[in-house]
Amino acid sequence: MRHIPEEELHAYLDQGLSRSQCVEIESHLASCPSCQGARDGIAALRDRTTALLAKLAPPRGFPPAFETLQARAAVAASVRRRRVHVGAWAASLVAAIGLGWTASNLVTRPVPPSQISHPVSITPTRSTSAVPASVPSATRQSAPRLTPRRVAVSRAVREDTSPTVPAAPVVPAPALELSSIDIPRADREVELDGMWRTMSWDGAQAEAGDKLPHIDGLPVVQVQVQASEHGKVPLTVVAQQLASGEVIRTIEGPMNDVSHLLAKRTMSDPDPSTSSTRSDTLKPSGPSHTDQTMAMQRGDRLLVITGALPSDSLLAMIRRLNAEMRSK
Amino acid sequence: MDELEQLYQTTYTAVVRFLYRKVWDAERAEDLAQEVFVRALTHRPEKPRAWVFAVAANLARDEARAAVRRKRHLTLLKGDPVSQPTIQPAADTLVEHDERVAAVQDALSTLTPRDREILLLWDAGLSYPEIAAQTGLALGAVGTTLARARRRLVEAHDRQHAQGDHAAHS
Repeated sequence: MRHIPEEELHAYLDQGLSRSQCVEIESHLASCPSCQGARDGIAALRDRTTALLAKLAPPRGFPPAFETLQARAAVAASVRRRRVHVGAWAASLVAAIGLGWTASNLVTRPVPPSQISHPVSITPTRSTSAVPASVPSATRQSAPRLTPRRVAVSRAVREDTSPTVPAAPVVPAPALELSSIDIPRADREVELDGMWRTMSWDGAQAEAGDKLPHIDGLPVVQVQVQASEHGKVPLTVVAQQLASGEVIRTIEGPMNDVSHLLAKRTMSDPDPSTSSTRSDTLKPSGPSHTDQTMAMQRGDRLLVITGALPSDSLLAMIRRLNAEMRSK
Repeated sequence: MDELEQLYQTTYTAVVRFLYRKVWDAERAEDLAQEVFVRALTHRPEKPRAWVFAVAANLARDEARAAVRRKRHLTLLKGDPVSQPTIQPAADTLVEHDERVAAVQDALSTLTPRDREILLLWDAGLSYPEIAAQTGLALGAVGTTLARARRRLVEAHDRQHAQGDHAAHS
């Protein structure tokens, strides 16, 4: 006669067996002193475990009233509804990644012309000469809107430098029409520099509305906001820190302004002789030339994520954060 | 009464205890437990009891990961070599000095994560099918796992006792 295996006795005592299995075990137990002994031993082990675990109980607290939790749930639901707008950027980033986003890493160092694998496609009205950065905002506003969902690949062009610095390199992504934004080099530093303010997260959120772009899930270490004219959504730079200590900056604002900011950082890069005079203009965000930068354009606004870490890490991080965000 | 309210009244304590055995901080365990029920209220899951424990397990896991990250970050800041993260038991001072409790904690920590998880889920009141659904274990394997987990917990605990007695007498 087959004796009852140990695990079945556990399951039997735990009421984890079907009725027919129980009947079978009970009929065997009735006539098998050996299995009765085993059952008693397991019952004792079971009680012993429960008693041991019972020692690992927290001091008894007072559960909050159920209504309190209901109120919290209502608040959480409304917050989530608002967060959808913020998440939209990130969600589109993921879409862009899926469609060949890696092709649009900004190159911050000069790339040999041989690497320019594709003629730069430029939206007709946004010619190479581009809108001078010094144009007043009125001109900027009248600039044509580019098709949404187009990924903008940009690289600052130093118009005053030698021909060895190539024009903006564009690696065409298969599924997306990439467009190069010519970043005008202009002398607005003074104007830009004076307008930056460092703000609290809450303050900046109030100013930028609910759409303050940032990477969900990372602690915010600094928020800088550029003063905006007449109620426009301002240019914001949100610095967030990874657990490793690296700082990731999310820059969002009118395309020209963001491009300008990037242009300035690029200028400080290849040529040390000019960078010395320019580096002090990098105050607003101060990303270093080792930063990886990814940009995305929507309408006339540009979203840029930049940080000193390999682009694939950046991509992986954005993907992960988005996945987490969606799973919530 | 709302189904969830009923669940809250009957299982809140079990959820806190379940979480406490993972984060070892009573206050944090309560915070997380409340978060679990707040989420249940917004999600309205079909099988709320199993859902509640699944979410609790996830939150505890995130919590442990965050703790490891914080620790690593701090270590890096200090310039020390990164040490293998260990879950520090007994953050709660009330329990910290109770050696008998520490002995059980230590014994529990010797189990494999899976054995520990299943033992804690069982102790939290989940049925075999619920445990199987949550952990992905085959229904027939729940008994096997519980048998092993119980045996190992008691063995580890008694071994410590034996060592403690031996140390005390020598």
